[in-house]
Amino acid sequence: MTVATAIVRPFTQAVGKLSAVHRLAPWLLVYLLLLPLPYVLSGLFNDYYVYLANRICIFILLTVGLNIVKGFCGQVTIGHVGLYAIGAVSSALVSLHLGAPFWVSFPIGVLVAGVAGIIVGLPSVRLEGAYLALATLGLGESVRIMIAVTPLFGSSTGLIGIPTPEIGGFVFDSFERYYYLLITATMIGIYLSFSILRSATGRAFMAIREDTIAASVHGINVPQYKLLAFVISALYAGAAGALFAHMPPGYIHHNNFTIIEMVTLLLMVVLGGIGHIWGGVIGAIIVTIIYDQTLEFYFYQPLLFGLSMVILVMFMPRGIGGVIDRYFVTRRFIGAREGKTDGAP
Amino acid sequence: MTATKNRLIAAGLAASLVAGMATVAAAGEIRVGITMRMISENGQKYGQMVMDEIDMINKAGGINGNTINATLLNDECKSDKGVANATKLIFQEKVHLLIGSTCSSVSLPIVDVTAKAEVPQIIPHSTNAKITQKGSAWVFRVPVSGRYYAGVNAKYVGENIGKKIAYLCAADAASQNDCEAMQSQMKSQHGVEPAYAAQVQEKEVDFRTHMQKIKTANVDGIMIAALAETMARALTQSYEAGIPASVRRIGSSSASNSPVPSIAGDAAKGVFFAAAYAAADRRPIARLFNEMVRKRYNINAPDHDFSQAYDLIRIVELALGRADLKLDSGSLAADRTAIRDAIASVENYQGLASGPISFCAAPTPQCRDGNRTAVLIAYTKGGENYVTEVLARVTMPADFGL
Repeated sequence: MTVATAIVRPFTQAVGKLSAVHRLAPWLLVYLLLLPLPYVLSGLFNDYYVYLANRICIFILLTVGLNIVKGFCGQVTIGHVGLYAIGAVSSALVSLHLGAPFWVSFPIGVLVAGVAGIIVGLPSVRLEGAYLALATLGLGESVRIMIAVTPLFGSSTGLIGIPTPEIGGFVFDSFERYYYLLITATMIGIYLSFSILRSATGRAFMAIREDTIAASVHGINVPQYKLLAFVISALYAGAAGALFAHMPPGYIHHNNFTIIEMVTLLLMVVLGGIGHIWGGVIGAIIVTIIYDQTLEFYFYQPLLFGLSMVILVMFMPRGIGGVIDRYFVTRRFIGAREGKTDGAP
Repeated sequence: MTATKNRLIAAGLAASLVAGMATVAAAGEIRVGITMRMISENGQKYGQMVMDEIDMINKAGGINGNTINATLLNDECKSDKGVANATKLIFQEKVHLLIGSTCSSVSLPIVDVTAKAEVPQIIPHSTNAKITQKGSAWVFRVPVSGRYYAGVNAKYVGENIGKKIAYLCAADAASQNDCEAMQSQMKSQHGVEPAYAAQVQEKEVDFRTHMQKIKTANVDGIMIAALAETMARALTQSYEAGIPASVRRIGSSSASNSPVPSIAGDAAKGVFFAAAYAAADRRPIARLFNEMVRKRYNINAPDHDFSQAYDLIRIVELALGRADLKLDSGSLAADRTAIRDAIASVENYQGLASGPISFCAAPTPQCRDGNRTAVLIAYTKGGENYVTEVLARVTMPADFGL
């Protein structure tokens, strides 16, 4: 028995048993297990690791959202970070200028990003591949430039003093407290992503990814589903942006939403495995940790990340998710073969 | 058997991870965290100078027998990375003092992090006035605040150049602040509005349209507020557009950075700006400093970001020498407070800066913007071997521009 089998088998068995009780039971269990994480991290290590966990949660929301449009629906987009910026700025502005609480500004930020998702997604109706990538890149960069030159959006100084969320006197003003908000949003985000994947909409997305013409022939409204994928993905990006904006110290600047951030997101998705929800989660965790552990080697960081991307695409094009898939397929194959052998006369 | 072996391997991995992540504090060690913009050639040299100076303090016996353990991280001039660096340095490295950052947009959110964690922060380069206006008791600024620069520039321009000024302002925090403050000072001191004003991208490359409009506006001067490389491009294109040398070019604080004359060449001649240090300074300390920078970092005439990094380390050395530090496992908070109070007690520090640097205890801009003297400098020759001259030296009242 390998180490991987030793870890994975009891886990999959437990998930199977819990799912039989209620389909939400395993999610609830994982959520409950993750709740004490800030205290474990600050107790074992220090508060910085709680901050890192918060960053990971935001990246997970972003990668899971990106996976919907890129992994499920097969649409190339480099404008995701622009939608992230729209969510962040919208929520921050509503909070700062209208004095609205987070619970009002957050959904507004998400909705504004969703509407922007339609604009980003419109080129996908007529464009594909590199052309779509260029169009979305242009839109994403335009958002950043618009923020950079508009005083209302923070311009060069950024938006300062974005209030932290509060609920019934409980203020999410520390890394530990903010974690609860983030982990809740992240778990809901991952669960909804699985729900979409297993629904008729998810199957339509995947049909478009595999063959647009074949999908169209089978009655799938391709332009509508492509747009829908962009909108859902934008809602995720908007949620991540709004959560980022209100996270202590409550400051955003247009430099937080550059093409470098977009490339980092793509690296997370590619490393985790395009089209694998858990892959995006694993990618976000691994890239954030590697980035953190190599902070002091800043001269070599761009080289490290660039080389990783090239090596991944060359030798592991389906990412970690692909490796896990292959592992389960192999296990099922071995299981089926052993069963056949056992049953043979 | 195999399962037991696997569990042992997993336990071993977990234990080594824990050991690797935990930081063990060493006695007699003053931990200093630095977060700076280490992506441009000059940025790297500023950071390198800070590290070299700390290394030399340690080689000379440290401070009161204690050595300085410095950790330098790159924030890429991005606020989220700056906040991550500051958080890591404060909570993981458990630094006694934080130095940073280069960019105002990074220093601004870090002020909140250090204030909450109660860690003294000393700023080497950021000029945005809002940094000290946040009212943190833990922040100190070595460079001249943008609010002082604007006053000096506006006074000189109004009295010597003219009142019809065009403004090209790049979208970075420091340039925006310099531009807005200059416009505001021109209005309050001379009662004039901008003859032309436009905002450009932080790394804009084409200014020709703006220059043509400025040419037709028949102005007395053009203020170009931008980071060094952008400013150099704008200066060159102003001459390409046919704007004569008689229209004076006014730079923002980053005009002091050596890429401006190096890239702009002859177009840099005549450009004047307010800064915190002039390489043309005749004082022996300045000459020695220029020589040291030339030898160590191959820079012909150091700009004020070099001098400010150097002054900052000298102030830190002075403060750490005065602070009553215990440096044991239970004294971190007390040591941080002692360092803060020691920096606040620095008065009339005479270094390379254009004027004396003084701090005090109150968490106000008057107390925490240490240098109030700006020096007006003009380039008399551009290119790699550029030459500067000092036009004027002006000390502003502490509450100016508030």
